[in-house]
Amino acid sequence: MEPSSRHLSPSLLTPIVILLILACMPLVGSRFFIYLVSGILVTGLLATSLNLVLGFGGMYQFHHAVFYGTGAYCTALLLTKTSLPAWVAFVSAPIGAALLGLVIGAICVRLSKLYFGMLQISLGSLVWAIVYRWYSFTGGDDGIHGIPLPSWISGGKPAYYAVLLTVAVCFFLLHRIVESPFGRIFQAIRDNPVRCEAVGIPVQRHQLIGQVLAAAFAGVAGALFVVVEGSVFPDMLFWTLSLEILIMCLLGGWFRFWGPMVGAAIIVCLRTYVGSYTEYWTLILGVFLMLIIFFLPDGVLGLAERLTRRNATASST
Amino acid sequence: MAEGIALQTILQQLLVGLSRTTILFIVASGMSLVLGVLRIPNLAHGSFYMIGAFLAYSVSAAIGSTMGFWTAVLVAPIGVALLSFAIERGLFRHLYDREHLMLLLFTFSFTLVFSDLVKLIWGSDYRSMPVPEVFQGSILVMGLTLPLYNAFLLAVGPIVAIGLWLLTQKTKIGKIARAAAVDREMVDAIGINVQMIYSVVFVIGCFLAGLGGALVAPTQNITQGMDHGIIMETFLIVIVGGLGNIWGALTGALVFGLSHAVGIMVFPQFAIVIPYLAVVVILMFRPRGLLKSIW
Amino acid sequence: MLHVENLQKSFDGFMAVCDAHLVVSKGDIVAVIGPNGAGKTTLFNLITGQIRPDRGRVLFKGEEITGLAPYRICERGICRSFQIVNIFPRLSVFENVQVAVLAHQKRALDLMKPARNQGKTETERILAGFDLLDQKDRKAGTLSHGDQKVLEMAIALGNEPDLLILDEPTAGMSPEETAHCLALMKRLSAETGVTILFCEHDMEMVFAVSTSIMVMQQGKTIIQDTPQAVRASREVQEAYLGECPNAA
Repeated sequence: MEPSSRHLSPSLLTPIVILLILACMPLVGSRFFIYLVSGILVTGLLATSLNLVLGFGGMYQFHHAVFYGTGAYCTALLLTKTSLPAWVAFVSAPIGAALLGLVIGAICVRLSKLYFGMLQISLGSLVWAIVYRWYSFTGGDDGIHGIPLPSWISGGKPAYYAVLLTVAVCFFLLHRIVESPFGRIFQAIRDNPVRCEAVGIPVQRHQLIGQVLAAAFAGVAGALFVVVEGSVFPDMLFWTLSLEILIMCLLGGWFRFWGPMVGAAIIVCLRTYVGSYTEYWTLILGVFLMLIIFFLPDGVLGLAERLTRRNATASST
Repeated sequence: MAEGIALQTILQQLLVGLSRTTILFIVASGMSLVLGVLRIPNLAHGSFYMIGAFLAYSVSAAIGSTMGFWTAVLVAPIGVALLSFAIERGLFRHLYDREHLMLLLFTFSFTLVFSDLVKLIWGSDYRSMPVPEVFQGSILVMGLTLPLYNAFLLAVGPIVAIGLWLLTQKTKIGKIARAAAVDREMVDAIGINVQMIYSVVFVIGCFLAGLGGALVAPTQNITQGMDHGIIMETFLIVIVGGLGNIWGALTGALVFGLSHAVGIMVFPQFAIVIPYLAVVVILMFRPRGLLKSIW
Repeated sequence: MLHVENLQKSFDGFMAVCDAHLVVSKGDIVAVIGPNGAGKTTLFNLITGQIRPDRGRVLFKGEEITGLAPYRICERGICRSFQIVNIFPRLSVFENVQVAVLAHQKRALDLMKPARNQGKTETERILAGFDLLDQKDRKAGTLSHGDQKVLEMAIALGNEPDLLILDEPTAGMSPEETAHCLALMKRLSAETGVTILFCEHDMEMVFAVSTSIMVMQQGKTIIQDTPQAVRASREVQEAYLGECPNAA
């Protein structure tokens, strides 16, 4: 944890400035650019929700994407199969995801480390297999397309603002949670669960709560995906996506709050631009990941921190 | 009378399912070895399986017919083993001190790279390899017709199992590997080259993946998505059986293969869900797997 | 306050603790001594719930706490420090103690308020009592070994325990640090009235500060009595003190 001096104005000012810039962007940005940034925001929220339990909680969350996909499918199914008002469909996403997080979490939290992660993959894969095969209900491997969205959020710009607003609120909440007593203790559990038990903290209960929270925010990201894309795919529940989000957290720096967002932005931009030149994006991502693991285990933000610290000491000598 | 025929069909399906179990077992035992000794969940294991299948296809296509098949079954796993050796020596060994998560992501990077490399080398279309002449046709087993190739697979399974058991329990390397799985520092401290043990185990594990791929090649389409399909199944088998335990890999493969066969008969649309469900149910009661894990 | 009766625990056939008895009264400073392998740390782990006994009971303030989860035992008023330094290395010194304070104040589920200022007074009071206040923003992993052991103790106090259990508090400390620790324990007992149970190898320190001593050997309680009685006891001298040049 960084000392409290980092939480003074500079750290608060930057997000607000960025938020303002993002709010004004559609006035000058092209349709494509708006779409790109929408995607970055949604992915960034997803990655940050993962990092809540990964970087701050120390849990081996190997299949986080299943909560994202569940949230998206909840929204999609309610919008296409029922005539319930749209807001119900959107609210169902975090609720459905949180419920799944509660069930999967309650089963997995009894175990630690690698066993936790592998059991989570098993349970998540079961959910994927059901969605993938239930053609009549979920559209099977085709997914669901052409989801009807209310007019006030359909289309490039309205969707963008809906996403921006929701993501901003979610980040605010997530930041509060990380800085709260719960968040402090959550990080203590990451560092030393035995000590936490000895100090009066029911560790598994806390981890379960963390799981539910992370799942809920991932569900919100899923609903936002529906807003931006108008479709859902079973790939959203597949383990390869879970690992891609892990990569984003690693790339940005998983001990820092904004790390996953930075990582998401880099990966989404790279994928979009590299993907337009070659069909072998997967190969490039793989090599990229290898380089990160070897040379940048602290992530981009970790590197930035080291560089600024070095400059600070250099200038003070 | 109708029940008699149904029973026959069921048993037939089960036998076919069992032969698929052999493939699952061979691949899973490779992963179990690596997971047990090196404690790396090797996500690239599925990629080695896929490469094994493609290599077998190429060798068999080049040489042709039965001779081609036997050569393929020999050459493909060895090719995969060499590749894995290069990777382990060149890259993995520098990362052993890192956290599990990093190692997992690193193996994932190979999954990404290999998946595109296969596309580059063999193209995006799927291939198929014919069943070798010597195994065409079927035999009668207790009144049930079983394709010869499946019978061959059924025979190979126990051979590999016994071979592995002998290797891990009776050879010196096997005993050292098991000790290194439990306490690496100790083995290091008594002067044994742990790095070399790790290399050997990793290469054997990947050899098994390649062997599985080569053996499965005549039975299904060789596709670019093979790696994704097999890796999750392998993961689940290894967890259900007990990490690092060869007999656990066999048990898990049986659970998976047989429940899949049952699924096809009973609930064809959701056939692939049944094994996942079986695994989940077992893990809820025995979260560490059915058999003892090495650590 | 604390009664341990007939406690027994074996690991894979090895009997670590086989017939342990202990009585700790309010306000006491009780030491458990014995050669290495006598079962002292196992005994402490049995009391604080890290492991469950095969047989026997542990009673605290009249209620049975045998086999309860560690966090429940902590809620009842027993807190411990560990033999091998067991702090939160990535958190600051302040945050290390704050975690315990927040848990004690039942604020662990507070999701929205910033933690920065919560429990500040209590945390700083504890840190001041241990002379750690000026280091409160340092990452705990960067402290010297002696300071980390002191932090160990400070964390345990965050829960305002009735009974403080210290597992070899001066292990690895220099003579100055040991004397410092001694003074700390005496002051804690005198000022806050907290009951202390600890185990040690440093005999001088044990005899200097304890009001009662329990001697263990091979998992069994040999005797529990005042320091003078223990020093005079033939059994203890034969079993243990006879080998130690410091005694007498």
